[in-house]
Amino acid sequence: MSEQGDVVRFNRRERIEHVLVMILFVVLVATGMPQKFHEAGIAKTIVEALGGISQVRYFHRMAGVFFAALTLMHLTAIVLPVLTRRSTLAMVPRPKDFRDAVLTIRYYLGKVRERPQYDHFDYKEKFEYWGIVFGSFIMICTGFVLLLPLLATKFLPGQVIPAAKVAHGNEGLMAMLVVIVWHLFNVHLAPEVFPMSRTIFTGKISRERMRHEHGIEYARQFPEEASDAPTDPDAKKP
Amino acid sequence: MMGLCSTIRLVALLVPVWVALAAFAPTRVWAFSVQEEKDKCLSCHGQENLSMTLDDGQAAPLFMKGELLAGSVHKNLRCTDCHSGLDQLPHKPRHYQDLAQFRASFGEACKSCHSDNYAKTLDSVHYRVQARGDAFAPTCVRCHGSHEMGRPAEPRARISQTCATCHVAVSDTYVKSVHGKALVGENNQDVPVCTDCHRSHNIADPSNLGWRLATPSLCGKCHADEKRMKKYGLSTAVLSTYLADFHGTTASFGAHGKKKDDERVVALCVDCHGIHDIAKATGADATMFRENLVTTCRKCHPDASENFPSAWLSHYEPSLTRAPFVYLIKLFYKVLIPFIVGGLLLQVVLHLRRSVGKKR
Repeated sequence: MSEQGDVVRFNRRERIEHVLVMILFVVLVATGMPQKFHEAGIAKTIVEALGGISQVRYFHRMAGVFFAALTLMHLTAIVLPVLTRRSTLAMVPRPKDFRDAVLTIRYYLGKVRERPQYDHFDYKEKFEYWGIVFGSFIMICTGFVLLLPLLATKFLPGQVIPAAKVAHGNEGLMAMLVVIVWHLFNVHLAPEVFPMSRTIFTGKISRERMRHEHGIEYARQFPEEASDAPTDPDAKKP
Repeated sequence: MMGLCSTIRLVALLVPVWVALAAFAPTRVWAFSVQEEKDKCLSCHGQENLSMTLDDGQAAPLFMKGELLAGSVHKNLRCTDCHSGLDQLPHKPRHYQDLAQFRASFGEACKSCHSDNYAKTLDSVHYRVQARGDAFAPTCVRCHGSHEMGRPAEPRARISQTCATCHVAVSDTYVKSVHGKALVGENNQDVPVCTDCHRSHNIADPSNLGWRLATPSLCGKCHADEKRMKKYGLSTAVLSTYLADFHGTTASFGAHGKKKDDERVVALCVDCHGIHDIAKATGADATMFRENLVTTCRKCHPDASENFPSAWLSHYEPSLTRAPFVYLIKLFYKVLIPFIVGGLLLQVVLHLRRSVGKKR
């Protein structure tokens, strides 16, 4: 597919955000998991390799604070354009996404012939995005409680600290497992993108892939090329 | 079965070996019996004012009270077994710089039989004092006695009494502690005496960071022992709950790297429970312990609020009655993680299966 044929999918801010989240996520997992699974032999090895537990905690907290700042910046960058009506909420789940999920699974099971057509973001992308948003909210809140336990207990009961610890560790574990099982599969191992989808780094998607993976959006942008492509049943009629 | 012939052959083979060994074995020049030797030595050393002059001019007593040997575990040894090189009369002249060197030389006497324990003392904090040339440094005989040598751990309380001869203040604190009271008052055989924590021959410097960081496993030796704790109705979860919490995890990772030996690093067992003054933290005493907790926390966290101590679940596993909030969150994730991750994994498998199927 030629360069001209590519469609811009992610702007520069979004691409940079992804790279930063990727780096911070790896740092947070690498410095957080050895603390959660501290009895494991490998935890000791990792902690020693990183220069001791104080050093590991320092890295984890720094990365956590950066992550919180990045999340705040992201929300600002999303909310402001929406408020000023310069952007739409393409990421907000719609009834179609739930139907898509069911239909897609029925398709995987061989119950239906065709996979449903997706719009700009498919239900998998939305699930992951909102998973990260809610997960980040929990991680950031509990993270700050654990970072400043003395301050937190000035206003909150003491039990909040062990509760935050349990939530932080488990939510982090779940995030790591979801990224390994789900995200890495969808962007690397899935037959449609194997060995790797470059879209989030280049910001561009080929027309061919767009037609295949975001059929509804493709039909809307290139109506003459996709006259027989299915349309979005939820779209408001003009 | 071994036949008569082969038995004779074996004996025939062994006899010359035994004869050869016996012939070359070292023989004593000193030809007295044990009792004769004792009498001979005591004829001089039984005199109260016998002494020798050291190089620094001080007098070292050489008097030995014969009756002391009666209860000694060494009563059947010869004097020269320990006081070697003295089996000539008159003795070859010896020189000692000072009292410290004179006393240290007795340790050498124990070495020939008790070499393993002697080697251990070389790593001890007591040996360090001795190496400095301190005349009052504890040597073998300081703790074990010399001629009246008994069994050091019979009765068990004797161990702590031995240490108490020098460590008076610590001993006074210890006897008032939950452990000391049980030892002295009830002759309890489970509670730790000094050497159970501090070891006997290779006594470490208790301010040493590595030694302090090992205290959780030290206390855990008994407090994580199901059988022993059951007798007293104590929980064995104390170690696991400590290690799972912030302080314990930090300690198990070797705490905060480069710190000085005497610097406080992270709350270890002894920082909350005390060292020699360990008190009961269960039953009626628990309330007092709980009330003092905020004071204990403030030792390291001066800004701790009244709420802060309840962040620590007092060695309890969270449950519906203890810390229900924590318990429910734990339970929530126990269900949610397998549900979410399992569901996604299933979808991945179905996705791949369909893709493979389509290609066929």
